Amino acid sequence: MIKSVMVMNTQGKPRLAKFYDFQPVEKQQELIRSVFGVLCGRADNVSNFVEADSIFGPGTRLVYKHFATLYFVFIFDSSENELAMLDLIQVFVETLDKCFKNLHTILDEIIFGGQVLETSSIEVIKAVEEISKLESASNAIALVSKSVSGWRSR
Amino acid sequence: MALSGMRGLSVFISDIRNCPNKEQERLRVDKELGNIRTRFKNEKGLSPYEKKKYVWKMLYIYMLGYDVDFGHMEAVSLISAPKYPEKQVGYIVTSCLLNENHDFLRLAINTVRNDIIGRNETFQCLALTMVGNIGGREFAESLAPDVQKLIISSSCRPLVRKKAALCLLRLYRKNPDVVNVDGWADRMAQLLDERDLGVLTSSMSLLVALVSNNHEAYWSCLPKCVKILERLARNQDVPQEYTYYGIPSPWLQVKTMRALQYFPTVEDPNTRRSLFEVLQRILMGTDVVKNVNKNNASHAVLFEALALVMHLDAEKEMMSQCIALLGKFIAVREPNIRYLGLENMTRMLMVTDVHDIIKRHQAQIITSLKDPDISIRRRALDLLYGMCDVSNAKDIVEELLQYLSTADFAMREELSLKAAILAEKFAPDLSWYVDVILQLIDKAGDFVSDDIWFRVVQFVTNNEDLQPYAAAKAREYLDKPAIHETMVKVSAYLLGEYSHLLARRPGCSPKEIFSIIHEKLPTVSMSTVAILLSTYAKILMHTQPADPELQNQIWTIFNKYESCIEVEIQQRAVEYFALSRKGVALMDILAEMPKFPERQSSLIKKAEDVEVDTAEQSAIKLRAQQQQTSTALVVADQSSANGTSPVNQLGLVKVPSMSSSVDHNSTDPGMAQPNGTLTKVDPQPQPPSPSPSPDLLGDLLGPLAIEGPPVAGESEQNVVSGLEGVAAVDAAAIVPVTVQTNAVEPIGNIAERFHALCLKDSGVLYEDPYVQIGIKAEWRGHHGRLVLFLGNKNTSPLFSVQALILPPSHLKMELSLVPETIPPRAQVQCPLEVMNLRPSRDVAVLDFSYKFNTNMVNVKLRLPAVLNKFLQPITVSAEEFFPQWRSLSGPPLKLQEVVRGVRPMPLLEMANLFNSCHLIVCPGLDPNPNNLVASTTFYSESTRAMLCLTRIETDPADRTQLRMTVASGDPTLTFELKEFIKEQLVSIPTAPRPPAPAPAAPSNDPGAMLAGLL
Repeated sequence: MIKSVMVMNTQGKPRLAKFYDFQPVEKQQELIRSVFGVLCGRADNVSNFVEADSIFGPGTRLVYKHFATLYFVFIFDSSENELAMLDLIQVFVETLDKCFKNLHTILDEIIFGGQVLETSSIEVIKAVEEISKLESASNAIALVSKSVSGWRSR
Repeated sequence: MALSGMRGLSVFISDIRNCPNKEQERLRVDKELGNIRTRFKNEKGLSPYEKKKYVWKMLYIYMLGYDVDFGHMEAVSLISAPKYPEKQVGYIVTSCLLNENHDFLRLAINTVRNDIIGRNETFQCLALTMVGNIGGREFAESLAPDVQKLIISSSCRPLVRKKAALCLLRLYRKNPDVVNVDGWADRMAQLLDERDLGVLTSSMSLLVALVSNNHEAYWSCLPKCVKILERLARNQDVPQEYTYYGIPSPWLQVKTMRALQYFPTVEDPNTRRSLFEVLQRILMGTDVVKNVNKNNASHAVLFEALALVMHLDAEKEMMSQCIALLGKFIAVREPNIRYLGLENMTRMLMVTDVHDIIKRHQAQIITSLKDPDISIRRRALDLLYGMCDVSNAKDIVEELLQYLSTADFAMREELSLKAAILAEKFAPDLSWYVDVILQLIDKAGDFVSDDIWFRVVQFVTNNEDLQPYAAAKAREYLDKPAIHETMVKVSAYLLGEYSHLLARRPGCSPKEIFSIIHEKLPTVSMSTVAILLSTYAKILMHTQPADPELQNQIWTIFNKYESCIEVEIQQRAVEYFALSRKGVALMDILAEMPKFPERQSSLIKKAEDVEVDTAEQSAIKLRAQQQQTSTALVVADQSSANGTSPVNQLGLVKVPSMSSSVDHNSTDPGMAQPNGTLTKVDPQPQPPSPSPSPDLLGDLLGPLAIEGPPVAGESEQNVVSGLEGVAAVDAAAIVPVTVQTNAVEPIGNIAERFHALCLKDSGVLYEDPYVQIGIKAEWRGHHGRLVLFLGNKNTSPLFSVQALILPPSHLKMELSLVPETIPPRAQVQCPLEVMNLRPSRDVAVLDFSYKFNTNMVNVKLRLPAVLNKFLQPITVSAEEFFPQWRSLSGPPLKLQEVVRGVRPMPLLEMANLFNSCHLIVCPGLDPNPNNLVASTTFYSESTRAMLCLTRIETDPADRTQLRMTVASGDPTLTFELKEFIKEQLVSIPTAPRPPAPAPAAPSNDPGAMLAGLL
């Protein structure tokens, strides 16, 4: 099971953090900080794996990928394959490359309650686009009704 | 996020981003929170659009790391909005902000269910996502059937079905009962015929969870998994979008092979053959290529295939092929593959007969110790440690020693411990062992624990041949300019004992030895000084005839240390000085150390313990850990402990160290009588309980250590007696003044004393420097008689003694008169009558206070009048048991639950635990040796004598979980007893939840199931 997904910049500022086990806010911040503490000391040409036992408890693994100013970090237990997780980061990033919006929606289409939901970035984008279509459609309706009511009150 | 059209939110976010420092950010956030709070207060004027906007802001603030403790209701209410944007916000924010035990979630269950069974696919997806992310037990119970329908529905799009599959997985994890094995196994197999790879990936995740719990029920899925693997490996019918860098869905391949690892073997020869064909294809067909992502993907599949091959115990030929591959991997440029290669090679060590093949790669593994990446270095160290044996110990340990001087600090401790263990375990000869340890101390003295140098001394003492060698080595190290203190200790000890064996060598005369050791004295700590003094005494002893100059030198030192502040050193100095004046008689007194008795090395023992821990990293164990983390949510519900509704009563008892968090409002005021003023609330005639005979008191007086008053300084400590934290806060509401002024510390652990008394009938309940409270109890049916023994330990009287009983609503308790003063060194007895009205796990509390000097001391103690005290053992025969068991056919009289996070214990220990709780284990009733059947009679006024039957089914493979069935003729009793047993089995307190009268009605009858099983 995937326990957490984090995206943070190279200064350690979280850009996205999702925990699939409930964690109180302070704990989340602490975890993000300690992950950054480990990652910032690693050079570029080393492996993508870090032992995370001391941060997340025994048996947890951490896989990360470093792109430009961002770290993409997945934390999971031994029931997942490390390289497959690395691939999943790649899918996530590639999907973001293709459509950078609705970060949360995209992640929700890839990982669901700590499990891999969809691995094809094409499928993910399809689903996300469907959702955003819906959003804009209903937004439009909301706008119209608002303007109508505004007009009435005038 | 749907930010379009929400200018306020965009402005807020850019404001936050532009904040120059954390302080400003906090100010901006506080301002916004204040704004949202006021807007929510007059909710009527809020349009759904505005509500949505504010809820988004709340989420953003929450993600920045601020606590958002309001507005949850608004978020939940958006779920029922008819339009998509509002609904979406509601779902997303709810799943981020609330945890599964939040009360508001219950309000949303119906809406969520309507969305799931409704026609709108997008709404279905939203609802499933939320349930999948936070769905707790209640969701599991009410939504699982609908979710199952969605998975197998043919009218649903894959988009919905794959989410439903993972949603069910989540619900299954929360409550395994939601998936009925009989009905679901066939459907699961059908699901694997699915063509859509998205749905298939999700279904495979579900299958992995199901088979990891119970592989037997899902045998029919095994050939289908192999079919899927074949389809993927041959790239048949795999749509383009599921091909990742040319590899057909690596995730699904990996998951499928993971699922296969949960089946013990593959029996069917045809299936086995096709599986091995596929595996062979994967093993042979993977090459390291340029593209990093393609590499990762193909190796993900490859490593999983290796794991499966190891699991299937393939023929040796295939195994050596695997190792050859791994050997190739640990030498490649790609660091990820090196890492995994080493890790899998370590795993491979568990397979028999392959050690020799692995050893061929030793040189390469040693090179990996110098890898630039610490993750890889760690793996290499693990592997070297694992593959070490007598044949290669010398090489490996020497490599480790060499590496020690350059290794990073983070690794040195582990490294030196491992080197020491290997040296001891596999030493080809003992002088080599001494060399290694001395080198180890020299290079990494800070990381060498005392255990390690003690062990060397033991070996040298027990092996005469070794003594001159060790002494000479120690002498050599002393010549080095700066040596570690541990080295000073070892060499001083060894030279003190054995330097006379070297006397003829140059630089080894007693005088020279003394002066070189004495040089180190100014720089060492007190504990080392003590050793040095012994060494000097030994040198004196060995110098016969005595050398007056040396003698004087040493005597001066002894004289100097006779006034040392450290008692140990002072004593040594005085004694050695006196002894050394005895001349030749010294020889007898300070003779050589005798041999140590052979014993197991504490180091190796330590190492073995660690190995047991790491070897057992099964997926199941990990799940148990997850379970534990989720029960850590108790805190969130603690506020409800003060609630007035009876619903909360059950939750109350379970707060740890809550001696005083008694539900004040539910306590009948008539029952709480100060000093036992008798009130006739009890219409029941008390049974004539015999007063305890005088000799009963004898053994209680025993532990009453009567001593003088303690040092006054102690009473200055402002420590609240063992009731810190939550309890103290609660208590303050009851007795505002006294608790604050408590200034004595209890002796012993109050909670431990209480738990001990729950299982036995007499003992000490509480003790501090002034007072001791003992308890002696007798139980008969639903009546009980406790005698409190209040003992004054002082030479002055205790005043203002008060004892107040705060009984829970299910107990009637009457305390006889407690005198206001307890004379010096006296003990008073106060009988306490107890009557049990109905089953409950709540506990009674004794509020005890007294005055000593000007100190008011107040403590609140749980009384051991707990549920199991009203149980009386009864053994039933098979003829009595089975009719009863069958007649109690299901909830609410018979409840079943799978308990996880159980303290692992052998079955025998569990049986003892049951017996000590008066639940008598009836052997032989259940043919399965892994199960326990126990029976008992419960007594209370409402239930009278009531037979209770329990069955525990344990899993020998995983001791942390078990299935428990409890049956009795009273629904409350069944529930309470079940929870009580659970508390005994689980080491951590479980999250309080309301007493659901009926858990998920299992569609199969547990009674019939048991009958079938027996």
